Amino acid sequence: MKLNGTAIKKHILTGIGYMIPLVVAAGLCMALGQVIDSDVRNSVTGLGYWLYQCGNFGMSMVVPVITAGVAYSISDKPGIAPGIIVGFVCTAVKAGFIGGIAGGFLVGYLVLAVKKYVKLPKPMRGLMSVMIIPVVVTAAAGVMMYTIVGLPFAWLQQVLTEWITNLQTGSKIVFGAVLGAMACFDFGGPVNKTMSTFVNGLMVDGIYGPESIKFVGSMIPPFGIAIACLLARHKFTKSEKESLKAAVPMGFCMITEGVIPIAARDLIRVVFSCCVGSAVAGALCMVWGTEQVVPHGGMLTVPLMTNPLQFCLALAIGSVITGVILAVIKKPVTDEDEKFDELGVNVLDIDVNDSSDVDFTIEKF
Amino acid sequence: MKIVGVAACTAGIAHTYMAKEKLVSAAKRLGHTAKIETQGTIGTEDSLTPEEIAEADVVILAVDVKVNGENRFKGKTVIRVGTAAAIKNPVELLVKIEKALNANED
Repeated sequence: MKLNGTAIKKHILTGIGYMIPLVVAAGLCMALGQVIDSDVRNSVTGLGYWLYQCGNFGMSMVVPVITAGVAYSISDKPGIAPGIIVGFVCTAVKAGFIGGIAGGFLVGYLVLAVKKYVKLPKPMRGLMSVMIIPVVVTAAAGVMMYTIVGLPFAWLQQVLTEWITNLQTGSKIVFGAVLGAMACFDFGGPVNKTMSTFVNGLMVDGIYGPESIKFVGSMIPPFGIAIACLLARHKFTKSEKESLKAAVPMGFCMITEGVIPIAARDLIRVVFSCCVGSAVAGALCMVWGTEQVVPHGGMLTVPLMTNPLQFCLALAIGSVITGVILAVIKKPVTDEDEKFDELGVNVLDIDVNDSSDVDFTIEKF
Repeated sequence: MKIVGVAACTAGIAHTYMAKEKLVSAAKRLGHTAKIETQGTIGTEDSLTPEEIAEADVVILAVDVKVNGENRFKGKTVIRVGTAAAIKNPVELLVKIEKALNANED
């Protein structure tokens, strides 16, 4: 079991992958409940109350699901039960999202350690998975989370929360701009995932502003490029116009990846213009105090935001900036470009060298 | 080459399916056959059958997260790569894999 960067990333992303649908479901139920019943916090029954309660239950499970997901990624099924329990401990000691991830690693590697070092006589081996692992790992990781592991994360969480809520206007602009640029920098790739992990974590801990920046950053690339295409049709190839037809509705639902084929042919100009537009929009979101309570859903969840109109305005301004910049700096299409092979390289003249960024590992299973 | 594989990304809504599409069409272009299973948020689709796995020359895991059923590939040569690389440059990826496999056999 080696602990390298790729493995760590895989475990965290697995946890987040399990968290996303949970937060969307819980967030939307809570929001719908509030829409149906405006005094939902004091209600005791009714559709609005039921939906709100469903959302509440879901929200209380967010950190446990992350912890269990990370632990599952490391140690398979035995990680899930202790992961859920330790996740609740994280919530209780206010170690938050980051503590939850750390708890997942703790549980996962403890499971592996117990599996490796605790050897039972044969007749008792059946007890390993139903008793020894769950009890030992839960007890050990739970106590550690209450004491030495949880405390630093609780402190970190508190410092971070205070820092963000006390940002002055100038710092808000910088903070928003950096997050906005990161959100669209690689159209759903590692930089975007780093940014969204960060803002999702803040959201779980009750800071909703940065989440709205993720929304603008994810939607500006498709909308901005579409505007650029309207302004300068001759600068886009036929297949790019085709991809845009799919990319815009995808963008509407907050899936940025549809623009990758367009960005691939002209990476620097497209990324540059998208980042500028998103940075401006991100800064505007911070200054105008837009907030989003669910982590996905695109335009469909905009009505649930705090200050939805300001959000739409920021989105529009950012998209127009991206569109205009791209329309100006993009080069007209040549015949060569029309032939650009959408599989990434010209198949007839493959020159495979080791300097390329195609990296893989070979294993014998 | 007969290729089987699994594609899976974090959110399980976009990269997973793009990686599959790119790998399949790149394989076709190079004269290979490819069947790729997707493990998205929606669950597993286009599951690989034991026969397909047995017949395959190589297994490609284009994954960013943990996938289910890796033990199905026991005894196979398994290539592990991120979805981003498979989407960006699938043809080059396959050519390189083929080269690497040939080199391994020598």
